[in-house]
Amino acid sequence: MSAFTTEDLFKIMRECAGEEEAVDLSSAAADQEFALLGYDSLALMEAISRVERGYGITLPEETLGDALTPAAFVAAVNTAIADRVPAAGAA
Amino acid sequence: MTAERPLPVALLLPGQGSQHPLMATGLYGYEPVFTEAMDEFFDAAGPEGGPLREDWLAERPATELDHVTRSQPLLFAVDLALGRLVLSWGVRPAALLGHSIGELASSVLAGVFSTRDAVGLVLDRVARLAKAPPGGMLAVAASTAEVEPYLSGDVVVGAVNAPRQTILAGPDGPLDKAGRALGEAGFVCRRVPSLSAFHSPLLEPACRGAAERFAAVPKAAPSVPVHSAYTAAPLTRADIDDPSFWARQPVAPVLFWPALEGLLATGDHLLVEVGPGQGLSQVARRHPAVRRGTSTVVSLLPPRPGPPEADRAAVEAAAARIAGAGSPTARAATPRAATPRGTPSSAPAV
Repeated sequence: MSAFTTEDLFKIMRECAGEEEAVDLSSAAADQEFALLGYDSLALMEAISRVERGYGITLPEETLGDALTPAAFVAAVNTAIADRVPAAGAA
Repeated sequence: MTAERPLPVALLLPGQGSQHPLMATGLYGYEPVFTEAMDEFFDAAGPEGGPLREDWLAERPATELDHVTRSQPLLFAVDLALGRLVLSWGVRPAALLGHSIGELASSVLAGVFSTRDAVGLVLDRVARLAKAPPGGMLAVAASTAEVEPYLSGDVVVGAVNAPRQTILAGPDGPLDKAGRALGEAGFVCRRVPSLSAFHSPLLEPACRGAAERFAAVPKAAPSVPVHSAYTAAPLTRADIDDPSFWARQPVAPVLFWPALEGLLATGDHLLVEVGPGQGLSQVARRHPAVRRGTSTVVSLLPPRPGPPEADRAAVEAAAARIAGAGSPTARAATPRAATPRGTPSSAPAV
């Protein structure tokens, strides 16, 4: 089971855009580029910043690269969370 | 496939921040209508036309494209030429909405100013603005209310692009200070490509005298409603006849989001961005009417700089989407090769 899900990301994205709850980011949105979902690099930077603070991780620079999709973002976060565990000395 | 009731088309024309080297140059010499419109611009620009054209077509322009003397005239020209291209397909827009310099381009498309007069006004504007003190613009992922405590006499809200995308403008020092304070408070900021503090009082002295130039040219009623991002309402005859309304545009804040809301409050539209990049498309995709799918966004150019083929493919795809949405389009299946006037001293990069 993933520590960070697409739903977690969509919740953060909605907060970043200042959108009302009614906004629907369907599961199909996971594989669309952020740009096509209305998230420019500024909104994406904010989402990354919120995730980094919320999960105590540092995402690699290339997370901000071109053609990024929510699915790829979620995968990058889960990789960073997995890497964090041994460093934190957790069992 | 044709929609039962085609959505009315609204053209969105981007402004400062959307420029990039070689923007839309893949269409030059390829799309005849676009090429002719660009050549008309360079011709109308007189002695400035040659250097503008060279820098537009250069991978490394002699004067960088973020400089006011390049960004403003070339954005104006590219927006206008792309608008003319879409009109040439038989698309009859129901509304126009421009951001910053894009509003002047919309006014030319709507016939308020002649192309030649408008080019003179744009060049007069940039000659004045080039003398303004250096400054910049900062995009902040925050609402206008959230940035309020970080404003000062010099640093103001230059543009309201979306509910949580506010652009600050001001002189470099105070703007950097505001940016640091915002960053410490957890707000994400990014510099907008601009070497001038557009839409801030810093440009006020430089704009003095511009009104006389606007007063001196004939102005016609727009053939299509032009939604102004300065009043967040369609241009009125009073706006059009007021020279200071136009002269102050580089100083006044751009209320893009309120203007977009005003436009979409008149009904759903097929929003077609005619300019480099997809900045306004991305903003428009945040609008509830686009989110729920009743309004749609089409961008004429790719989201980021690429090879000439990418510009061409993007235009092709946009034309198909506009036709698919039921707008009458009489686009030639394959554009004939057009020959730009004169020989470029620096060909577009492949």
